[in-house]
Amino acid sequence: MLFSADSIWTMLHGIALGGGSLLALAAALFSLRVMAVPTGSDAPDRHSRAVAMLLVSIAVLLWLTVLGGTYIVFPPYRATPPAGLADLSQYPRAFLLANPDTAWLHRFAMETKEHVPWIAAMLSTAAAFVGVRHRGKLLSDPGMRGTVATLTGIAFVLVAYVALLGVFVNKVAPLE
Amino acid sequence: MAQPTEAVPPRDEPIGSSTNGSAMAAVMAAGVGAFAVGAFVILNESGLLPAPTLYGPAGGVSGRTTMAAVTWLIAWAFLHRRWRARDVPIRRVLVATLVLIALGLLATFPPVWSIF
Repeated sequence: MLFSADSIWTMLHGIALGGGSLLALAAALFSLRVMAVPTGSDAPDRHSRAVAMLLVSIAVLLWLTVLGGTYIVFPPYRATPPAGLADLSQYPRAFLLANPDTAWLHRFAMETKEHVPWIAAMLSTAAAFVGVRHRGKLLSDPGMRGTVATLTGIAFVLVAYVALLGVFVNKVAPLE
Repeated sequence: MAQPTEAVPPRDEPIGSSTNGSAMAAVMAAGVGAFAVGAFVILNESGLLPAPTLYGPAGGVSGRTTMAAVTWLIAWAFLHRRWRARDVPIRRVLVATLVLIALGLLATFPPVWSIF
């Protein structure tokens, strides 16, 4: 088989779900900017609905990314190799830690990826809640819109950051 | 034709959303959750509160993140109950949330938690 199951799950996690959430985060930030209306006026209902759906989609994608990453992709990454095994290429964590030049990819990059995405998922959930519950005034209330944009912007930065770290890890120690 | 005797809320407005309390509760709870992620990392690394491994193949991260997620949800439920029928100052909540997020992120930074 051309791709192993672990490899397919990694691609699903990083490209489909993580990449999809990055696209949606960018779209949400853009939408909050261009679809805003003056305070007190009514935004078109279809705009409000679209932004709310986008925010919910982001939260769903991020939780799938986080949970898939933690419980499906991470276990084979951190699997312990048999004692005395010379070729550690099938054990990414051990492979990275065995070389001083690549150890940082686990000790910094993957250790960061273990926790930071959970924060992004929580922030995006809050943004989605506000977007759905206060859909009517999200685009017209500058305080509400600014708050959602702030949370979404932070989530975007965090997701982009951990995605880049994941690219580095997978480039050097791919799950095969 | 009879005139309506009270204002009809906009069609999109769900009942109860005329105040911002529920929205701000969600925002603040996200800040608490972010802080909790960092706090459980520090507590685990310092040995003060080692998180249980809930799923062996994933290791200790399964326990730390689950505890943080539970903390987040409890905070959300608590704040929602307290704030849902009132307006709260958006700027103050947002600043507090940003501080909590910053502290949480700092605590997840490997050079920081490796000190403990």
